[in-house]
Amino acid sequence: MSSVHEIPVGAVGELVLERPAVARSESPFAQGVRRLRRSTTALVGLAVVLLLLVVAIFADVLAPQSPITSDQTKTFQRPSWAYPLGTDQLGRDMLSRIIHGTRISLAVGVSSVLLALLAGVPLGLIAGYYGGRIDTGVMRVMDLILAFPIYLLAIILMVIFTPTAGLLGTIKVVGAIAIVRIPIYARLVRGSVLSVKEKEYIEACRAVGVRDPWIIVRHILPNCLAPIIVTTTLGIATSIIVEATLSFLGLGTQPPTPSWGWDLKANVSFIHDYFWLSLFPGLAIFVTVLGFNLFGDGLRDALDPRLK
Amino acid sequence: MRIYILRRLLGIIPTVLMITLVVFVMMRSIPGDPVVALLGDAYTEEDAIKTREAYGLNKPIAIQYLIWLGRLAQGDWGTSILSGRPVLQDVLFRLPVTLELIVLSMVVALVIAIPAAIIGAKRQNTWADYSATSVAMIGVSIPEFFLGVLLLLTFSVGLKGALPSSGWVYLPGTCTSVVCAAGLVGNLQHVLMPAIALGVGRAAILTRLLRSNLLEVIRTEYVTTARAKGLGERSVVLKHSLKNALIPTITVMGLQVGFLIGGAIVVETLFAMPGLGTYGIDAIIARDYQQVQGFALVTAFAFVVINLLVDLTYSLLDPRIRYGS
Repeated sequence: MSSVHEIPVGAVGELVLERPAVARSESPFAQGVRRLRRSTTALVGLAVVLLLLVVAIFADVLAPQSPITSDQTKTFQRPSWAYPLGTDQLGRDMLSRIIHGTRISLAVGVSSVLLALLAGVPLGLIAGYYGGRIDTGVMRVMDLILAFPIYLLAIILMVIFTPTAGLLGTIKVVGAIAIVRIPIYARLVRGSVLSVKEKEYIEACRAVGVRDPWIIVRHILPNCLAPIIVTTTLGIATSIIVEATLSFLGLGTQPPTPSWGWDLKANVSFIHDYFWLSLFPGLAIFVTVLGFNLFGDGLRDALDPRLK
Repeated sequence: MRIYILRRLLGIIPTVLMITLVVFVMMRSIPGDPVVALLGDAYTEEDAIKTREAYGLNKPIAIQYLIWLGRLAQGDWGTSILSGRPVLQDVLFRLPVTLELIVLSMVVALVIAIPAAIIGAKRQNTWADYSATSVAMIGVSIPEFFLGVLLLLTFSVGLKGALPSSGWVYLPGTCTSVVCAAGLVGNLQHVLMPAIALGVGRAAILTRLLRSNLLEVIRTEYVTTARAKGLGERSVVLKHSLKNALIPTITVMGLQVGFLIGGAIVVETLFAMPGLGTYGIDAIIARDYQQVQGFALVTAFAFVVINLLVDLTYSLLDPRIRYGS
C-alpha cells in the first residue's frame, strides 16, 4: 500500500485514504506501571522488599541454626565462620535470630496495615457517603484516636493487652498498631468520597436506580485506590518502626520470639565490648524500612505524578 | 482574631480532660494494680483490700476520676507510688530535661533541613539535590533508637568516650531540687547525642517537604517579579520564597509533635535521661496510676498547646489568614 507521505491514488485516480493507525490509549494503570518501571528508586525498593519476603518465607531453610536454642558455653562469640554474626549473651546465633526476625517484622508490618485498611476503608466510605450523624459519630472516634501521640497510644494498648511471646504476642502487637492506624485510612477515604460524591455521574447512577452499596464499591472506591496503595506501602514502613520501638521498650513480642527491636535493646548494655550485637539488628530494621520507603515513594510518583 | 484565640484557649481544657479521662480508664483496664507492687513480698489479701480502700481504688471509676479532678483543682497532683514524692514535684523536676531535648531536636532538625531544602530546590536534579534527597530518605528510615546506638558507638565507645552515654547534667537554673549537678558544658555534652538522634528523623521529613514546597514557590510569578526587579538572590530566596514555603511545612511540623513525644520516650530510655519520657513509661509499666495521670496531663497539655501555637504561627506567617473573621 502507498506510504503515508505519498498521496494515495487508486486505480481510477480517486483518493484512497487509509484509516490512520489509532494509537491504543493506555489505561491509567498501565501508565502507572510504566512510570514505575522507569524509576530507579522504586525498583531498588521493590528488590529489597522482595528479597526480604524471600528471607522471611524461607527463614527456616536459610538460618544456619535455631534462633531460640541457647548454648551457654558459647556466649558472646565474635563473628566467625560458625557464627557469622556472633552470638548473644545466651549463646544464640545472631544471624539466625536476624533471619527469623525478618518474619516477625514483615508479618507484623504487613498484617497491621492490612487490618487497619480492612477496618478503616469501610468506615471512611460509610462516613463520607452517608454523612450526617454517622459521619460525625465515626469521625469523633477517629479524632479521639488521632488526638493521642502515636507511640503513647500504642504503648498503653500493649500494656493493656499484656505482651506475651509466640503467636498470641505477635497478634497483640498487630492489633495495637492496627488500631492506631485505622483513623489514617478512614480520613483518607472519607476525603476522597466527599470529593467525588457530588459529581454528576454519581447522581446519574442513583437516577438509574443503582443501589447505594454498588455505587460505593464500583464507582467511588476506585477513586481512592491510588492514595490507599501509597499509604499502605509507606504505612508498612512506619508499622515496622513502631513494632521495633515497642520491642525496644520491652512491650512488643517477648523472648524467645526473635525480634530486632528486642535484640537491639538487650544488647545495648554490652555495647562497649560487643558492639556488633546491637549493630546488626539495627541495620536490619534500617534496610527493611528503607526498602519499603523507597518503593512507596516510587509508587506515589508513579501513580500520581502531580504529587511530585 | 482575638475571639478565635480565646475560643481555642478555652477549648484546650475539654480536650486535655478528655485525653486524661481516656488514659484514666485505660490504665484501670490493665490487669494488675499498684497495690501488688506496693506491698511486694508482704502481700496478703487482707492488706491488699485495706490498701485499696486507703487509696480509694475500690470506688467506681467515675468517682475516682472526679476525686482526681477535685484534688487537681486544688493543686494536688497526687503522690507517686514508685517514688513516694508528690507527682507535681516530680513533673517539675523532669520537665526541663524533656523540654530541652525537644526544643534542641527541633533546632537540629531546622538547622539541617532548611539549608538542605534550599540547596535541593535551587539545584534541582543535580548531584547536590540527589544527595540531599538520599540523605533525607536515609534519615526517615532510621529509627531514633538505632541512630542513638550509632551515635553511642561513634562518640562514647569510639573516640575514647568523647561524649557520655547516659545520665544528665542540668542547665544552671533549671533544676528545681536541692541536689543536682549543673553546668553548661556538662549539659551540652549530655544533650547533644539525644538531640541529634531525635532531630535527624524530623530533619529528613522536613527537608523533603520544604524542598517540594520551595520548588512550587520558586516557579510562581511573584518570585519572577522579584528577580526582575533586581532583588538579590539571597533576598529572593530567604525573604520571599522561604517564608511562603514554610507555611504548609509548619502545619506538618505541628503534626510531627506526636512523633516527637514518642521519640523522646525512646531516646530518653536509651540514654537514661531523667525526663518525662522515662517518667511516663516507668509509671505505665508499674501501673502507678497517679504518676501516669500526671504524665498524661502534662503530655496532653503540651500536645494541644503546641498545635495551637502552630495554627497561630500559620497566621503570623501569612497575613491573609485571619481566623474567626
